[in-house]
Order: sequence, then structure tokens, then C-alpha cells
Amino acid sequence: MMKFKLALLASVVAVMSTTAFAADKPVYGVLMKTLANPFWGAMEQGVKAGADAAGVEYYLQAAESDQAAEPQLNLCNTMLERKPAVMITAAINSNILLPCLKAANDMGIPVVDLDGNLDPAVNEKAGVKIAFQIGSDNEAAGAQGADYVVGKLGADAKGPVLVIEGLSGNITGQKRARGFAEQLKKTAPGLEIVASLPGDWDRGKAANITNDILTKHGDLVAIFAANDGMALGAVETVFAAGKGEQVTIVGVDGNSDAVKSIKEGRLTASVAQLPYLVGKQAVESVKLVAEGKEVPAVVHVPTMVLTKAVLDAGTEPMLEFVK
Amino acid sequence: MVVNTAATTDAWRRLQFFFDSKLHVRLESIIVLAALGLAMTLLSPFFLSVSNFLNILLATTTIGVLAIAATLILSSNGLDLSLGSVLGFAGVVGAYFCVELEWPWFMAIVGALGAGALAGYINGVLITRLRIPAFIVTLGMLGIARGVGLIIAPNGGAIYGLPAPVVFLGQGRPLGIPMPVIILAIVAIIAHYVLSYSRFGHHTLAMGDNEAAARATGIPVESLRRKLYTISGLLAGMAGLIFMARVNAGDPTAGYTYELTAITAAIIGGTSLFGGKGSILGAMVGALIMGVLQNGLNLLAVQSYYQQIAIGAVLILAVCIDQMQSEKERKA
Repeated sequence: MMKFKLALLASVVAVMSTTAFAADKPVYGVLMKTLANPFWGAMEQGVKAGADAAGVEYYLQAAESDQAAEPQLNLCNTMLERKPAVMITAAINSNILLPCLKAANDMGIPVVDLDGNLDPAVNEKAGVKIAFQIGSDNEAAGAQGADYVVGKLGADAKGPVLVIEGLSGNITGQKRARGFAEQLKKTAPGLEIVASLPGDWDRGKAANITNDILTKHGDLVAIFAANDGMALGAVETVFAAGKGEQVTIVGVDGNSDAVKSIKEGRLTASVAQLPYLVGKQAVESVKLVAEGKEVPAVVHVPTMVLTKAVLDAGTEPMLEFVK
Repeated sequence: MVVNTAATTDAWRRLQFFFDSKLHVRLESIIVLAALGLAMTLLSPFFLSVSNFLNILLATTTIGVLAIAATLILSSNGLDLSLGSVLGFAGVVGAYFCVELEWPWFMAIVGALGAGALAGYINGVLITRLRIPAFIVTLGMLGIARGVGLIIAPNGGAIYGLPAPVVFLGQGRPLGIPMPVIILAIVAIIAHYVLSYSRFGHHTLAMGDNEAAARATGIPVESLRRKLYTISGLLAGMAGLIFMARVNAGDPTAGYTYELTAITAAIIGGTSLFGGKGSILGAMVGALIMGVLQNGLNLLAVQSYYQQIAIGAVLILAVCIDQMQSEKERKA
């Protein structure tokens, strides 16, 4: 027993000394919403690539789901204990992390708003300073989806359109749905959104909603879903109903399963975010901040529309970042 | 329910008795369902049609299968909080077998059902052998099953693109009836027979009512409990199979919080949270009440915040009506 304890002690000392060595390089703290989603998986790969290129160490933590707000705050506070050189945080909502980020400010740790989940007005009230915000513009992504639908169906097209929103009350989903709705109204007034319903990011629910709306509007011409999972749920329902040719279906994210479905000619398009690029640029830009250089307050990483034509051609340079 | 004459009271009583004792389902829950159906028919011209009826049934299948599991477990005075997570986990295992490992299509079924039954069996063993409360064991399994599913699925994403025979289980329509509905109907009939008419069912209800008394009469309560949790897991696996076949993907996030909806459906259908009383047909009616409500709200394009309020209110109302009726009977 004694021997065992000694061995344990020795290994603890060994681990501690290696951490001490690693501290030669600056260590960045990265706090994500969750890893239970390919979007965040790709983001992590980008962070890793960015950290390798910048020659920094990082450690990454994430809550168990993108609903686990309070656990994320606890993770954030624990992260502060390790005194990272910078904090890159993707907050689950616009207020939960504020006390922790305020503490980071007080410790002189620059804070990055990864994926743009914070609200500048709320930050100011709470006295939280953000070095910069980086991510895709969700409203623009929705508008891009509308542009694609209008480009395909024509500006004078008529017919019912279904919007499947994200989790009720979630800002990202709301922005995408709003961006889509406003742009559609502007560019093709004949395309009427007959229902905008919460799919709660749930494939099964999206499939059910699509079924319900097809009952009421058999002549549905387009569906816009606030993420790819829900769009794919809608795809399965539409094809099972034999209306695959009739309905244009657009999702958001550019996930690998969406890409597969597009290549098979089922999902019509996905407005791909480039989380890999977001993660990579976040690390690269925050390094500039740490070195005392200027970075714009808001960095928008572009989104792109993936279609069968784009994927088959494979010539679009940004395709490299679709993971 | 205001009933004036003695004759109608008598007819009502007899009808109630018939539903309760012969069909083992409470008349009140069927009336709530009918009232809800009537309200939706009046509110939306698209509600009352064969195709919409099939839509509702199809949308109710995953919750319906889970509600059967919840009813069996609650009847035995148990609890299974891992249903939704096991659904997701089982779907991922099934999809992993036939897509990533490229095994023959039927291995998707074996994988999903096997994974579900295994998770349920582990629940049962921990509850009966180590005497850990079901709440804790199944809450632990809720996390474990979700986590393992996410690890198996590459990058936390869904495994997309299943073989055609598997997709048929979710999207096929023999004689115009969706396959998941046929599966649910068969499972529900078997489960209803087992719980309400078989020795296994009587033992389950007896154990749920009073475990010490059941043990005294020679019912092997431990092994019965293990069987019930294994069946519960198996049914969650079946729900996972249906879900994955419907959406053509093994999705590790599938079934998030579905256990609560399933337990609610069981309770609306007259199953007691404290054991000893349970009805599979009732649970199906409960699941349909929620399905009709969701379908109607979608047809009416009700905005999301109001949907949540409506769903919450109807749930409380449905159980409230049932409670008031039971209260009256106790006094009578």
C-alpha cells in the first residue's frame, strides 16, 4: 500500500512538472458550448490548427449540451483558476458567462466572443470588455438562404414556404429565420411564409412539422430550416411523401451529413458556416491582441451556399474549410 | 360532467365500468382526446382527414413506444429516466453497424434493439443487485448512454445514409399505412395484453402496489424487475430504430428529454406514478392527446412561445379531469 502511494505521489509530481514546462508557451483557454455537434467539432479542429500555427498551447472545455448554461459558467470559473493568457468563449446565451468574463477582465485576461453569442449592449451594462467578436453572421446566412431560393425559383415565383426555427427563444435560430424571412419578403413577395414553427433543433420534430404543413399546403415550394439536422428531417418527410422534386429545401451549417445528402440530390442546399475557419482565425487574431496589436471589434467569417453543382465542381477555394 | 337523471348516470357508470374493467383504459382520457380532436376540427379545416390522422399517428410513434416502456416501469413502481438517451444511443449503434462497419442491413435492427436491451439490463442489475434507487441508476444511464452515443458517432455528428430496408421501417407505407405506425400498433397490442391479462402483468402490478406482499406470495420480484428494465431498454431501442429509420440517420442527440414526454403520456393515460396501476391503451391515448395537440398547433401555425403554454395547460387539464373523476368515485 505504501509503495502504491509513493508511486502515485511520484506520478503526480511528474504531471505537475510537465505542466510547469508547458507554461513556457502561452496557454489559451477555449470554452465551447458543447462538442455534441459536428459544428463545434470542426471549430475545435480549427482552433487546433490555429494554435499549432501560432505556436501556442490551449486547453479546451465544453458543457455537456448547448442547453447547459449554468454548468458552462462553472467551467468558465474553473478555467480562470488556471489563469490562461486569453479566454476564447462561446457562451450558451448572452448573460450566463458575464460574471466570469468580468472576473477575467479584472485579471487582465483578454476575452474573445467566439461565434457571436454575446450582446454588446448587455456587455456594456455588466461592464464586460470583449477584445473582439468572431463568427458567421447568422442573419446574413438566413438572407443567403433566401437569395438561393429566389435565384432557383425566380423572383416572380409564387407559393407557400415553411420556415423551421431552432430551439424556441434561441438567438442563433431566430437570427437565421429572421434573415431568411426579411430577405424573402424583399426579393420575392410572391413566396409566402405560411408557417414559422419551432423545430427545437430536433430532426424528428422537424420531420413531423413538415408532415403537418404538407397536409395543409400540398403545393409547398420551399422549406428553410435553421440548421442542417432539421433540414434533413424535412428532406426525409418530403421524399417519403413523393414531393422531392417539388420542394426546395435549404438548411444552415454545411455538416458532413448534409453534404452527403446534397451530393445524393436530396437536400437542395445548405448555407455552410465555416467553423474550422472561425476557430483558426479566432486563435490567430487573439494572438495579435495579446501582442498589443489592433483587431476589428467584429470579425465576420463568410458563409457559403453549398449545392450539388458547387460540390460536384469542387473548384470553390473555400470548400477546403468545409469539414 | 353534469348528469341529471338517474338513468343516464347509470348508463354512464356502466360505460365507465366497461372501459375500465374490460378494456383497461379510462373513459375520461378518451373523452379528453375526443374533445381535443373536436376543437381542432373546428379550428382548422385541414385537421379532419385520413392523411392528417396518419400524420398524427406517425408523429406519435417514437413517444408512443417510449410511453409503453414508461407504463410498464411505472406500473411496477419503478422509474426509467434513461429512455430518451437510450433511444439516441441505440440509433447510433444501429447506424454504426450498417453504415460505418458496413455490416448487412439487418444488423442495424440487431444493433439498435441489442444496445437498448443491454442498457436496460444494466439498469435492472444495478437496481436489483446493488439496491441503488432506480432514479439514480437511470439518471446515471441517461448521461452514460448519451455520452457513449456521442463518442461512437464521428465528431458528435449523425451517421447519415442507411440501407434501403432499414429506411423502409421508418418511411415505407404498406397499404398506405406508415411502417412505424404498424410497428407501434403491434407492440402496443402485445404490451396491452401482457400488462392487463397475463400472469407477468398481474405480477408486475402486484409488485408495484406492494412489493413486500408480492414477495410474500412468492413472486420473484428481483428477476421480474430486471426483466422489466430490460424490456424498457429494448423498447427504447425500438423507438431509436424507428427514429433513425424515419430521418435516415443515427443521430446521437435524438430523443433529448423524450423520457419526460413519455412519462407524461403514461400518466395522462391513467398510470400511477407510484405503481400498482397502469394501462398501455391509456398510455396510447395519452400519447395521442399530445400528438393531436402538437399537430393542431402546427396546422394553426401557432408561434413557439404560445405552443409551450398551450401544451403545458392541456397536460395539467387532462390529468386534472381524471383526478376529479377518481375523487368523485372514491366518495360515491
